[in-house]
Amino acid sequence: MADWSRRRFLRTGAVATAGSLSACQTWTIGGAARARVVVVGGGFAGATAAKFIRCYDPTIDVTLIEPKSAYITCPASNWTLAGLLKPARLLVDYRDLVDRYQVRLIGDRVAAIDADRRKLVLADGDSLRYDRLVLAPGIDFDWQAIAGYDAEMAERFPHAWQAGPQTELLIRQIQALPDGGRVLICAPPDPYRCPPGPYERASLIAFWLKQHKPNAKVVILDPKPSFSKQKLFESGWRRYFGYGTPAASIEWLSIANNPVVRLEAAGRAVVTDFGDRFTGDVLNIIPPQRAGRIAAQAGLTDAGGWCPVDPWTSRSRFNEFIHVIGDAADYAPIPKSAFAANSEAKVCARAVVDLLNGCPPPEPHWLNTCYSLIAPDHGISVAMVYRLNAGRIAPVPGAGGVSADSPAAVALEAGYAVAAYRNLRKDSFE
Amino acid sequence: MLTSAARADFAAEAIAANCTICHAREDGDVGMPALADQSAEKLRQSLLDFKYDRKTATLMNRIAKGYSDTELAVVADYLGKR
Repeated sequence: MADWSRRRFLRTGAVATAGSLSACQTWTIGGAARARVVVVGGGFAGATAAKFIRCYDPTIDVTLIEPKSAYITCPASNWTLAGLLKPARLLVDYRDLVDRYQVRLIGDRVAAIDADRRKLVLADGDSLRYDRLVLAPGIDFDWQAIAGYDAEMAERFPHAWQAGPQTELLIRQIQALPDGGRVLICAPPDPYRCPPGPYERASLIAFWLKQHKPNAKVVILDPKPSFSKQKLFESGWRRYFGYGTPAASIEWLSIANNPVVRLEAAGRAVVTDFGDRFTGDVLNIIPPQRAGRIAAQAGLTDAGGWCPVDPWTSRSRFNEFIHVIGDAADYAPIPKSAFAANSEAKVCARAVVDLLNGCPPPEPHWLNTCYSLIAPDHGISVAMVYRLNAGRIAPVPGAGGVSADSPAAVALEAGYAVAAYRNLRKDSFE
Repeated sequence: MLTSAARADFAAEAIAANCTICHAREDGDVGMPALADQSAEKLRQSLLDFKYDRKTATLMNRIAKGYSDTELAVVADYLGKR
């Protein structure tokens, strides 16, 4: 007991006196039997976990498995639809994780997880052993939910919910929209990645249309009766887009208990459970979501399709040597945001390091902050502090909430939205 | 057993890990105050002022209310030492 306490104290002290976590790149790595941690998935959760495990304990070997050579951030991807940011600016690579933090990077996919032997098999046939596995595979789509809509059809009617080529396809389709045309956004049911995302997307598409195709409009079809930051979004929509009037360029239609169940590709229409039919010149269909495929394949998901975890350590409820973080994990009531993924990853990194060193992890602290832009100079936010209460994650009473709806606040928050995005990237990947 | 100072440091580290998601440690070019530019004393005062609405902000008032005065003080000390 005394030994691990002293070792951990020294490590924490070393980080504190180094002045910057980036200083850990200069630390000597030693020790004969180095613990091996494998991180699967190089998004905000996985990258942050890999970086911070190395910072908290540089004697641990960390390998990140990610097939893509660069990550395209979903945060800020809606900004590209309004021409506020070029899609290329969403790219972030893994150079710093490798060079500064000595994370070993393997550019491959995981084919299978052999949890009993604590071993991974990669798509190229190689295998890899781990002492602890951190799984951060992000989301997968439920392609069974909407008849006629699958991965292939999404190349015509993009979801753009994993930023990349789909985002660029959606940009091209909106630019080709006839004036007087209609963009139909089909929002997904809860829970899903980025709760305010569909509404920020609608705002920024409408902002672009207003300048280039003033007679076009955006319609949001929503299987939910309400949505994140609703009052603030609707206030902004009234201000810029005539929301609630016959001339509105944004319309929100709640189809609660009557979800979209079918795509009619030829007629560019979606049909609901009750047979209601909605058409659009551009169909942006965001399907229901669940944990990334490898999590289900490894038996780590529950009936809802997400990975239940012990929040104190982020360990899977189904395997004590596998930790799950980010969008794939069930951290409710913490929403599935990139900011929350970073926060969960740091709690996970501390727990992984402490468990490998045989010491109890400290009490976790989580924070979520989420900014959205309604227009380039109009930002809004929601925030919440979370901690454990009787073993469950709970918002701290009296804290958090949404931002003020005043001209001064929304102007400041627009700037902070950009600043927060830039630093979130930096904190996670650099 | 852990000393109370070490325990406070771990709690501070766990809370402070969330501050650095928005606030850069050093260069201040991201539009929010950089943490390294501020002393522990100034940080402690600011955090308490945010919590008790003596200082206006868009977001920090909402976040500071999630922590006890002691937690805000140890986080300020932790960040101020860096």
